[in-house]
Amino acid sequence: MKKVYFLLAALAGLVFLANTSRVRPAKYGMAVGTPEIRSISGLAFGPDGVLLVGDSKSATVFAIDTKDATANVSTQPVEIKNIDQKIAALLGTDAANISIQDIAVNPVSKNIYCAVQSADGTPVLLKITGDKIEAVSTKNIPFSSLALNNAPAEDAKDKRGNSVRVAAISDIGFADGKVLVSGLSGQEFNSTFRSIPFPFTNKQDQSTLEIYHAAHGKYETLAPIRTFTTAEIKGKKYLVASYTCTPLVLFPMDELKPGTHVKGRTVAEMGSGNSPIDMVTVSKGGESFLMMSNSARPVFKVKYKSIEAYQGALTTPVEESFATAGVDFVSLPVTNVIQMDKLDDSRMIILQRRSNGSLDLWTSSERYL
Amino acid sequence: MVRLAYIPGLTFFVCLIACLPESANQSIDIQWKNGQAFAIRIPGALAADIPEDSIFSLVTVNIAGQQNPVGILGSFEQKESGLLFTPMIPFTRGMHYDVRVRDTRVGGFEVPENNAGNAPRVIAIYPSADTLPENLLKIYLHFNQPMREGLSAKYIKLIKNKRDTIDGAFLDLQPELWNPERTVLTLWLDPGRIKRDLQPNKRLGAPMQRGTHYEIAISQAWTDARGKRLAKAYQKAFVTIAKDSLSPQPSQWTLVPPTAATKQALKIDFKEPLDHGLLQEVFTVQDGAGEKISGQWQIGKAEIQCHFIPDANWKAGSYKVLIEPRLEDLAGNNLVRPFDRDITKTSEAVTGEIALLHFNVK
Repeated sequence: MKKVYFLLAALAGLVFLANTSRVRPAKYGMAVGTPEIRSISGLAFGPDGVLLVGDSKSATVFAIDTKDATANVSTQPVEIKNIDQKIAALLGTDAANISIQDIAVNPVSKNIYCAVQSADGTPVLLKITGDKIEAVSTKNIPFSSLALNNAPAEDAKDKRGNSVRVAAISDIGFADGKVLVSGLSGQEFNSTFRSIPFPFTNKQDQSTLEIYHAAHGKYETLAPIRTFTTAEIKGKKYLVASYTCTPLVLFPMDELKPGTHVKGRTVAEMGSGNSPIDMVTVSKGGESFLMMSNSARPVFKVKYKSIEAYQGALTTPVEESFATAGVDFVSLPVTNVIQMDKLDDSRMIILQRRSNGSLDLWTSSERYL
Repeated sequence: MVRLAYIPGLTFFVCLIACLPESANQSIDIQWKNGQAFAIRIPGALAADIPEDSIFSLVTVNIAGQQNPVGILGSFEQKESGLLFTPMIPFTRGMHYDVRVRDTRVGGFEVPENNAGNAPRVIAIYPSADTLPENLLKIYLHFNQPMREGLSAKYIKLIKNKRDTIDGAFLDLQPELWNPERTVLTLWLDPGRIKRDLQPNKRLGAPMQRGTHYEIAISQAWTDARGKRLAKAYQKAFVTIAKDSLSPQPSQWTLVPPTAATKQALKIDFKEPLDHGLLQEVFTVQDGAGEKISGQWQIGKAEIQCHFIPDANWKAGSYKVLIEPRLEDLAGNNLVRPFDRDITKTSEAVTGEIALLHFNVK
């Protein structure tokens, strides 16, 4: 009955042995078990190699101890061509039958974690080290979880007994000891943003925020957040959120409190027919940049300096002046970026559909900054 | 007659056993669950003499025909009947696989195409009316089977005047907006193009214009989670009318109260179509003491009306219908805030309370 995972290569096995030989209490209130992950919409890393998994299907955030917390100080660039075909072969299927849902770089070990979904909806979690792709076992691992509070849907079912509640976790992040989760509802046109203390607590001490988007000209609208990151601007922490309808908006983190309605400041509109995919903050020579990948646009680079410079002008969101204005941004010669995460201060891991059709995972160099 | 009919069947059965080649005991069996090949059993004869702790290094399963065979990720389990291999995702229909022991092919198997079962169908498209506001915001597609995700942009088109496909009409969202069962998908017409004065709206205009014929076309090529294509292509045709920029007004609705000691439906007429997805969630009926009345909501034709049928007979008395302010019409205007709120004009409430409608049962 003993199960042998041949994907756990000998080396990894040794590391596991070394870890399990010492009995120690599970970190962060985790218990050993097998999390029932039904889908993986988003990945992010918390502290010490804890992987946060946003599961839209079960409206739950899982925190998994990957035990992959050995610091890597000399990160080598990763380049895997046709990664979808390689992953498909490892899963015994065609590239057409899988989709890569998200990637996240473990900030400690610098290993890349990749969420894949097969055509039948089965979620798969993989780890990429150099050019080696292996499975991450989710059986008998330390984990904790938190069900997102989607109370109204309880008894809304269709004739077949299916839930009619349509929702998705659009992004997940971690900052200052809190798991940040943005959610989209298929029904209402608004945004929920949750800031959940980690380790998870029983009392679900979470903030649920509805965010107003002070749009250009004179129309104020609600809108759902597609992706976000956090950044420090002039010593103050901000949530930098990008929207499904009109992109870049800043929210002071200290205003995001339970039950409050926070007005965001639009700093840029970045084009039509487009949905932002990922945002990361990187820096070079003391200057920091916001990098943003898009569904129908190249990767944008925005200087945080330019965002800072807008600080004063945007405190009155209805001013006509910014109906057409906005923070300047540069379009990089990098298109069709499907996923993106930060590798270190100045480099990013990029999953890109090249013009020859190949889906490649590669490491950006400083020259893009 | 009955006995006679049995004889050929029995003969066939005997022959089936007798005619089996000796190697049949060594054949690789596919293990099925819900129509999926979730594992294979490799007979002991094929993987004999392999120490349990070396299985993962000596036995591999790979897609047939690979020059450099790549072992499929999965787990092995030693059973009495042989070695059970469970890949991380089920084997794919129509594909051939090899089993290799010590780098030598010892057998193979094919996972047959799925010819059984019914093709998935679109069972409803909401809004169901055939005249819709030009600033329509959402479309709900209901399927009778869980569908494959991530493909809506490829398989759903908005076609104008039976000729032109409108590019970028729907918002490209990943992940898409599905219910947990993957049978209901929400599509948004690009809100950036609907909202007045936003850049997409200024540059490209609204996705739809009034007085025009449109069609939502769903390709038959869309597959469900089992890999089966839709039974046919589906269309929904509609004509656009003027923009709707006003919030729904419950005070204008009409209620037809039921009669006491019956299970008659409470009928609510909204006078305009409202959002199908929200109609199932936002209403609560309470009696005079504030107790919730349990029952079923049914949404009427074109989402203009809904009916509430109580589980128990109505008792005479006063009742109220509570309506959550997040209820929207087809253009995303909710009870307290239009989709586009002109903040230079009015001081409309932006945070709403539960709206109430009262009725009496006699």
